Amino acid sequence: MRVLPDIPKTRLGVAELRPPRNRPDPRAVAWWTIQWLILMLPVAAAGPAAFWFLTDRPLWLGVAAVAFAAGCVVLALVAPRAYYRVQRWEVTEEAVYTRRGWLTHTWRVAPMSRVQTVDTERGPVQRLFGLADVTVTTASAAGAIKIEALDHELAAELAARLTAVTQATPGDAT
Amino acid sequence: MIGESWQALSPRGLRVSGIRSLAIAAPVVTVLARVLAGLDWPLWPIVAATGGAGVVVVAGALAYEAARLRATRWRLTADRLEVRTGVAVRQHRSIPRDRVRSVDVRADPVRRAFGLTLVKVGTGEHADAHSELVLDSLTGHDAEALRRSLLRQEAPVADVALAQLRWAWARYAPLSVWSFAGGALVLGALYKTLDLLGLDLFTSDVAAGVWDWVTGRPWMAVPALLAANAALGVVGALLLFAESWGRYRLEREPGRLRLSRGLLTNRSLTLQERRLRGVEISEPLLLRLGGGARVKAVATGLGKAGEDESEDVAALTPPLPRELAVQVAARVAGMAPVSPSPHPVAARRRRIVWSLATVASLAALAAGATWLAARGGRPAAASGQSWPAGWFWPSLGAATALALPVALWLAADAYRALGHALSERHLICRRGTLTRRTVALDRGGIVGWTLSATVSQRRSGLLTVTATTAAGDGHYDVADVGRGDGLDLAARAVPGLLEPFLVRSQ
Repeated sequence: MRVLPDIPKTRLGVAELRPPRNRPDPRAVAWWTIQWLILMLPVAAAGPAAFWFLTDRPLWLGVAAVAFAAGCVVLALVAPRAYYRVQRWEVTEEAVYTRRGWLTHTWRVAPMSRVQTVDTERGPVQRLFGLADVTVTTASAAGAIKIEALDHELAAELAARLTAVTQATPGDAT
Repeated sequence: MIGESWQALSPRGLRVSGIRSLAIAAPVVTVLARVLAGLDWPLWPIVAATGGAGVVVVAGALAYEAARLRATRWRLTADRLEVRTGVAVRQHRSIPRDRVRSVDVRADPVRRAFGLTLVKVGTGEHADAHSELVLDSLTGHDAEALRRSLLRQEAPVADVALAQLRWAWARYAPLSVWSFAGGALVLGALYKTLDLLGLDLFTSDVAAGVWDWVTGRPWMAVPALLAANAALGVVGALLLFAESWGRYRLEREPGRLRLSRGLLTNRSLTLQERRLRGVEISEPLLLRLGGGARVKAVATGLGKAGEDESEDVAALTPPLPRELAVQVAARVAGMAPVSPSPHPVAARRRRIVWSLATVASLAALAAGATWLAARGGRPAAASGQSWPAGWFWPSLGAATALALPVALWLAADAYRALGHALSERHLICRRGTLTRRTVALDRGGIVGWTLSATVSQRRSGLLTVTATTAAGDGHYDVADVGRGDGLDLAARAVPGLLEPFLVRSQ
C-alpha cells in the first residue's frame, strides 16, 4: 500500500475553488431549452386543460392555472441559461475537473492515473445540434464524470486524448 | 493437488442432496395429503399418492445430483483453475490463478455431517455471479488444500489472531432493532408456516377472544405482550449471534486476512490485504448506547451478500466493546486512534432545522388528513358535533411535544457525530446518528473528489467533500465541513490532485 506524505498545513489564506476553464458549446443552450420544453410543455398545458375541463371555471383558479403554465415555460427558458453559466470543464495533464449544477453546485475531480474508461455519447436530438457528451469513469461506482454538450469533433478529440493518456498509465487504477 | 488430471467432486454429495430433498418432499407430502383429505379420498390411496410423490421428489433430486456429479470435473493446473460442468448445457470455465482474489469455504450442518465443504473462488471483479467459480462439494481436506495452493501457501503457518470470539460479546447481540421487532416477526413466520400446513390457529374466534382479553385489562395485557415480544426477540438475537459468530476468529496470514466463523454453518473468507482500502467502525444507535461497535472492511471486489445470506460480507467482527473495535481496526488497517475534529456550528443549525421541519410537517400532515377526512366524511351542518373528536387535537399536540425533544436530541447527536481527520495513512470521516460510521479510507485508495454545496450550504459557508474510491460503498462523505477546511482536507489527503484548481486568498 502506498503511503502518502502529508503536506503540512502551512499555507496561509483560505482555499477556494477556481472555476474550470472551459464552457460547454454555446449550442448547448438551445439543445437544453428544447429538452426542457419537451418536458415542460405537457406539464404547462395540463394545468389550464384541467381548469377548463374539470372545474366550473372560477376566475381565480383560471388566473392560477395560467400563472402555472407561464411559470413552467419561463422555467424551461431560464434554467438552461442558468446551467450554462455554471457548467464548466477542464482537462489538464493530471486531472479531469468539472463544475455543474444550478441550485446544488458540484465540482468533480478525477486524477488521470485513475481513469478507467472514456466514452462519448450522442443522442438523436443532440446530433442535430452537432453536440456530444464525454463520460470519464474511474474504478469507483460513484466516480463517473460527465462533460456535457461539447462540439462533437472536440469531444472525439478529447476522448482520444484521454484514452491515450490512460493507456499510458500502468496499474489497474483502483 | 496440482496436476493436469481432471478430478471429480466428492461422491458423498449424493447423500447431502438426498437429505436436502427431504426439505422439499416434506411440505409437498403435507400439502398433498391435506388437499386429498379435503377431497374426501379414503386413507390408503392418500398414503399411496403422497408416498409416491415423496419418492418422486427424492429420486428426482438424487438423479439430478448424480448426473451433475458425473458431469462436473475440475482441475488445478500450474496457472489456471478449470471447471467443466452442466447437465443440459455443457460449460467450461477457467480462472487464471493470479486473478484469484478470495476463496470462500463454507459448510452447512448437512455438508458438515458428511465432511464436505462448498468452495467459492472469487476473482474480485465487480461483475455478477459469473465472476465466481463454485465447487459443490469437496471433502474438507481437499478444500483446505485447494485454498492453500490457490493462495500460494504450501504449508500451514502459525497465524496471528487479530481477534477471537469471547462469549461475553453476546451481551451486545440483543442491541439491535430485531429485539423489538423479533417477536412479532417470529409469530408472523410461524403463522405463515402453520397456515401453509393448514393448521389455522388464529381463527376469528381466537382473535376475537384475544382482542377481548387485551381490551379487557390493557394495563396488564399490553406490557405482558410487549415483554413477551422483547423476550422472544432477545432469544432470537442471541441464537442468531451464536450461529453467525460462534467459533469466530480473525487472523492474519502473510498478505491476507482470514475470517472464519459459524457454529452450525462454517464460513471462512480470505481477503487479500492489497484489496483492503481501509476499515470502518460501525455503531448502530442501540449498540452505541450500549458501548459496542463492529468493524467492517472497506475492500474492493467484495461483492454483495447473496440472496440467502443476511449477513454483511464486509463484516470483520461481531458486535464487541468499542475500545476493542478500535484496537481491531488499528491491527487490521493501521487506523490511527485520532479524534476527529468537529465541524462548524452551522452544521448543527442545519440539523436542528431539518429535525424541526420533519416534526412540523408530520404534524401538519396528520392534522391536514384529519381535517380533510372530517370535511369529506360527513357534511358539517348535518351533525351537531365536530368530527375530529375532542381527544384528537390534544393527543396530536402531546405526540408533537414528545417527538420534539427526541428530534432535537437526534439532531444534536448527528452534529456530534460529524468529524474528519487526516492521519499519515488514512482520511478519517465520521458521521451518522442512527448508524454512526467512522471510516478510515486509505489515502492511496482515493480515486477522485466530488465537492458539493447546496444553496443553504453556500449561505452557511459549508461544503460536502466526497472521496470516491473503488472499495466499499464507492464514496465516503465528509458532510457539512467548513468550506476552507474541507478544501484543505481534500488538498492534503491526495497531494497534487486538487491543488491546481484552488486559489488561496491571503
